[in-house]
Amino acid sequence: MSALEPTTPSAPQRAGWVWRPFALTLPALLLLVAVIGYPLLTIVLRSLSEPQWGMQNYAWFFGAPVNLTVLQRTFTISAWVTLVCVVCAYPYAYLMTAVGPRVRLVLVLCVLIPFWVSGVVRTLSWVILLQDSGVINSLLRSAGFDGIRLIRTQTGVVIGMAQVLLPFMILPLYSVMKGIDLRLMRAAQSLGARPSRAFFTVYLPLSLPGVYAGAIIVFILALGFYITPALLGGPRSTMLSTLVQTQVLSLLQWGRGGAMGVVLLVTTFVLLALAAPVMRSRHRDVGRR
Amino acid sequence: MLKLRYGIGAVLALGVLTGAAFAQDKPVAGEVKEGSLKGKTLTFVSYGGIYQDGQAAALKDFVDKSGVKLLNDGPTEIAKLQAQVESGNVTWDVVDTDDLPPYVYCGKLFQKLDLTKLDVSKIPEGQVGECSVPAMNYGVVLMYNKEKYKDNPPKSWADFFDTQKFPGVRGIDGSGSPTGGLLEQAFKVAGGDPKAMTVADIDKAIDVVRKLGPDTIFWKTGAESQQLAESGEADMLMMWTGRAMTAVKNGAKYAPAWQDWLVVMDQMTIPVGVKDTDAAYALLNAYLGKNAQEVLAEKTSYTPINSDAQPKVDDSVAAFLTNTPDRQKQGYKQNFKFWVPNFAVAQEKWSALMAGN
Repeated sequence: MSALEPTTPSAPQRAGWVWRPFALTLPALLLLVAVIGYPLLTIVLRSLSEPQWGMQNYAWFFGAPVNLTVLQRTFTISAWVTLVCVVCAYPYAYLMTAVGPRVRLVLVLCVLIPFWVSGVVRTLSWVILLQDSGVINSLLRSAGFDGIRLIRTQTGVVIGMAQVLLPFMILPLYSVMKGIDLRLMRAAQSLGARPSRAFFTVYLPLSLPGVYAGAIIVFILALGFYITPALLGGPRSTMLSTLVQTQVLSLLQWGRGGAMGVVLLVTTFVLLALAAPVMRSRHRDVGRR
Repeated sequence: MLKLRYGIGAVLALGVLTGAAFAQDKPVAGEVKEGSLKGKTLTFVSYGGIYQDGQAAALKDFVDKSGVKLLNDGPTEIAKLQAQVESGNVTWDVVDTDDLPPYVYCGKLFQKLDLTKLDVSKIPEGQVGECSVPAMNYGVVLMYNKEKYKDNPPKSWADFFDTQKFPGVRGIDGSGSPTGGLLEQAFKVAGGDPKAMTVADIDKAIDVVRKLGPDTIFWKTGAESQQLAESGEADMLMMWTGRAMTAVKNGAKYAPAWQDWLVVMDQMTIPVGVKDTDAAYALLNAYLGKNAQEVLAEKTSYTPINSDAQPKVDDSVAAFLTNTPDRQKQGYKQNFKFWVPNFAVAQEKWSALMAGN
């Protein structure tokens, strides 16, 4: 019997198994340190050291009401964009799992082709669609309705940003959904659940990891948006990146610009830390049911 | 035939020699010594688009004659220039900037100019700064919708700020920095005297702009302002003359109210720490020449800054050139002495307005 027992690997070999993956990630780690870690550190340092050492840039940030309004607005707009993306992407990603390979290819291309077009170009197309004399308003007017103000409003910015960010929501959702066994739904229904019940207790919880992954990516990318709010928005939809740009590029206040970046980063971390337990516990519930 | 060729050669050589001798003691705008910059490279930085293309065309003679290799870079960003100056590795040799930066950062980012190396005699009065010469002139002009206001058009900035007498949507330059001249006109509407403006008055001026209401459009780019005129989405627009000209050419039913049009210009500068200062001066001096300025005006429709320049432009362009005697009389020059030291404060307050506060 003992001859058939698997031999336990010796200790040094086991250590090798632990370290080898790390060695393989070394190029990526070095790249991250060089292009993200170092510049980020510089930004933090400059926010504390310019024009002299101290917290003056942070005191300035929290002392100016406009900064706080815009910070709050940045999070609000990003949250709306995330919500719109979830609502639009969920059925779309589901459809991708439900159709045959040929239609799926078309659906994937519909997501990816706009993704390959530059964000600026897409934003400018939204200008053409949304402006007062644009396509949407002309259609509304020719149908006998009053035109609506879309461009230079928060609504316009949210629409434009959601379209630009939609692929980041659809792709993670699809990758999770395609792993869900659709027979589970049929099993639930065979046990007497109505289709809606089967969806909410079986399918939705299983797809939530995809929703969370997509939502986090979209939310974080939205926080840093610059071009789309600048072109589609008005004063009431200015986001923090625009203020950072003014501080750094036109006032040469690198310290203040840095402080704004750090505040945005820290606030994001805090929000994610708050959201993490919710995401994790939901995920565990799925296992229990 | 051979004799004749030698003759021409001799005359040319003589011309070059006298030119060279001249360049030694007194530079002449637009002239450069043949082959004087052979093997050298200069990087010229501006704002791209047809503007920088026009500038490159204006400098073609200089490049051909001097033998310099001219690189174009852009767009101009003062923050990038600051990073270059601070790291001691300045790769931008001549930089085209907005109105104010050469005054705000004179001596820090931009060299104080040695005027014995430049011929500034043909530049309009009052435009040569300690650290800059003008790159071109243009204006910020009030454009109004002819169909909306018909027989009772707005005539001044006071009318622009009067939404009672002149209802309608306003469009204002929201591309970044405040326009000093506009704030001065707004301050006048608030009952103040722009010549005696104080820092606290900036708020009063900005309040006048804010009172225009939530329908006011702050355009981000020149192209957007043009599009607003062509689509008729704004009834009164603060516009750059070049964009106003193009919009009218494209059929926008707008007309200018020239009273107190705001005089603005781009500046030509040499950054602190460039590798070959003399080569940069040679470029500047060539740029200021009559021919170069004519080419620039013909290609870009901006107003040349050499008073001898006679660009061949059609009527639609000529209508928006700002160097005619009439226009010079109507122009309004901002209070430079006030805005240079208060640039940061004004920018801060203007940014707050731009951010909806």
